[in-house]
Amino acid sequence: MILLDVLDKDLVKVPLTASDKNGIIAELVEVVAKAKGYTTQQSEAILDAVLDRESLGSTGIGNGIAIPHAKTNVVKHVTMVVGVSRFPVDFVSPDDQKSRIFFLVLAPSSEASAHVELLASIARTCTSSVFRRMLEQSKDKDEVVRLFME
Amino acid sequence: MGVPFKDIVVYLDGSESSMTAVMYAIKLAVEHEAKLTAVYVVNTKALGELVKAGIFVAIERDEYQRDLQADADRYLRHASKLAAQKQLELDTVKLEGAVHVVVRQLLKDRHADLLVLGGITDIRSRREELSSETDRMMRTAPCPVLVVRDDDDIWLEFEA
Repeated sequence: MILLDVLDKDLVKVPLTASDKNGIIAELVEVVAKAKGYTTQQSEAILDAVLDRESLGSTGIGNGIAIPHAKTNVVKHVTMVVGVSRFPVDFVSPDDQKSRIFFLVLAPSSEASAHVELLASIARTCTSSVFRRMLEQSKDKDEVVRLFME
Repeated sequence: MGVPFKDIVVYLDGSESSMTAVMYAIKLAVEHEAKLTAVYVVNTKALGELVKAGIFVAIERDEYQRDLQADADRYLRHASKLAAQKQLELDTVKLEGAVHVVVRQLLKDRHADLLVLGGITDIRSRREELSSETDRMMRTAPCPVLVVRDDDDIWLEFEA
């Protein structure tokens, strides 16, 4: 599985408006909950799973990117939300750089392989500094989708 | 090179399209009286990349490694059951490493004359880093490759 397999315009938000780490995570969860029609309970279950994972160590990976993720059986298949913030947010990254690009990745426990491959695909894609800069400067969700597809 | 095919390898990764490929490969093997091997690769390369990139912490890597092994066993067992439905004995192989690299080696070692793969991603990108393992296997396989489109008809025909 690669990023393009799960890229969905309805699961892209530009710009994110939250100004702190937990706010960004909640906003990303809200995007998927709204798009998939999840109940408040389901939405909270996702948020708890992501925050539980975050408590093991921050998913800010440096270079202005954070990839919060979790296993949760609320989702039927591997799901990805992409968000871009206008303002850098402290995600406790190893390089101390604040983040503006966020990928929320959720997967049911039965799709470990696809989950791992998707995370690796995101990591590979974001190695290009030019690409990261273009993503950071994207104005709306259409532009984000186009950047990945071109 | 053998025509009709005598030694077929099908790659599965647990996706629906790879299970469709398994069904197609079983029917093909029965038809050609060929030997069929199903291979699943525990993608330890991707796991390594995630730790290196700081996305996985050590405890998480260990947990996912166990999950991936369990996935491999489950899907290979399922493939064997499907083959048994058609009275075909399926050889199953579980490998670890970079998917396209270890599959290529398996094909060479077994002198396989056909690799069967599930669907290729419909959306294309020029970015090399966005190419999938399926794409890479297709490009690097040392034998002919048959790509099975994910099609409900194959499931219906198989179960008929």
